[in-house]
Amino acid sequence: MASVTSASERRGIPAAPFVHDVQSFLTQSSYDASTALVALQDRLQQYKLAEMKLLAQRRDLQAKIPDIKKCVEIVDTLLAKKGTGETMKVDFELAEGIYSRAQIPEADSVCLWLGANVMLEYPLEEARSLLQSNLENATASLKSIIEDMQFLRDQVTVTEVTIARVYNFDVHQRRKLRNQAKEEEES
Amino acid sequence: MAAASRSGVAEEIAKLSVEQLQAVKEQVDAELSVLQDSVGSIRTAANRFEMAANALHNLSLQKTGQQMLVPLTASLYVPGVLDNVDNVLVDVGTGYYIEKSLADGNDYCDRKIKFLKANHDKLVEVANDKRNTAEQVSLVLQAKMRSLSAGEQQRA
Repeated sequence: MASVTSASERRGIPAAPFVHDVQSFLTQSSYDASTALVALQDRLQQYKLAEMKLLAQRRDLQAKIPDIKKCVEIVDTLLAKKGTGETMKVDFELAEGIYSRAQIPEADSVCLWLGANVMLEYPLEEARSLLQSNLENATASLKSIIEDMQFLRDQVTVTEVTIARVYNFDVHQRRKLRNQAKEEEES
Repeated sequence: MAAASRSGVAEEIAKLSVEQLQAVKEQVDAELSVLQDSVGSIRTAANRFEMAANALHNLSLQKTGQQMLVPLTASLYVPGVLDNVDNVLVDVGTGYYIEKSLADGNDYCDRKIKFLKANHDKLVEVANDKRNTAEQVSLVLQAKMRSLSAGEQQRA
């Protein structure tokens, strides 16, 4: 009988039921072998699509996280300098490969680019806590996506194994029927 | 000279068999795609330097002491004051940065753009030659395959 090994669904990805016995799986779902194969192949395609989406999301997060870490460090440096009253001289990127110098007098606030053409000015403490929570969210999302991908890979394996077994079963059936027909002819 | 070499190549191609033609075609196609990638990356690099030249031009319109938002990372800006309009740091590769005057920086960008454009044009020419060779090879290949299948049909 077909049974389910783990959670029946994970964040929109349906689990692939592990088939213990191909014959009962086919009679239970009232598919014949070729329809079952088509349905399973379809499932496989959906899994592959989901895997590509997750891959893209993981890549984006992996790019964002070091950037957020850098921002946090810089805000920490600014916070540390805040009491001293000295002006910082910085070289900033004017264009790719060209840097120019600027002076930063005591900074009480920083401007954060939030995306979608929105930039907000925050006092230093608030900026730091915002960046820190962004970093934590991003790290948690990354972890969750990696777990999703592992789950997905398991389902892909299970589905591929099922396809192979249904195909073999079908070949076996046809051979049996052919042999039976031959015996009836001879007898 | 190019025409003579092309007709010489055409003779050689006609002597090859079908399998060899297919191998040659694959090789030429691979070389062509590598050349096209190179042309693309040269174009990207040239664009980068053009943007840098624009930025330098903008900088020349500013004055020291001008208020500005200093980008400390891609999403973090701090209000500050422009310190130096006369000198810029130029990234010359392998971790080296050279301080140059604004005029020298402009000159550097212009030189790079010219150099890249010259290479780009040369590469485009080579890529076109390769494309012609690829077309010739595939034409001869198709003709051979047609004559092969016609010959088989006659025999059958």
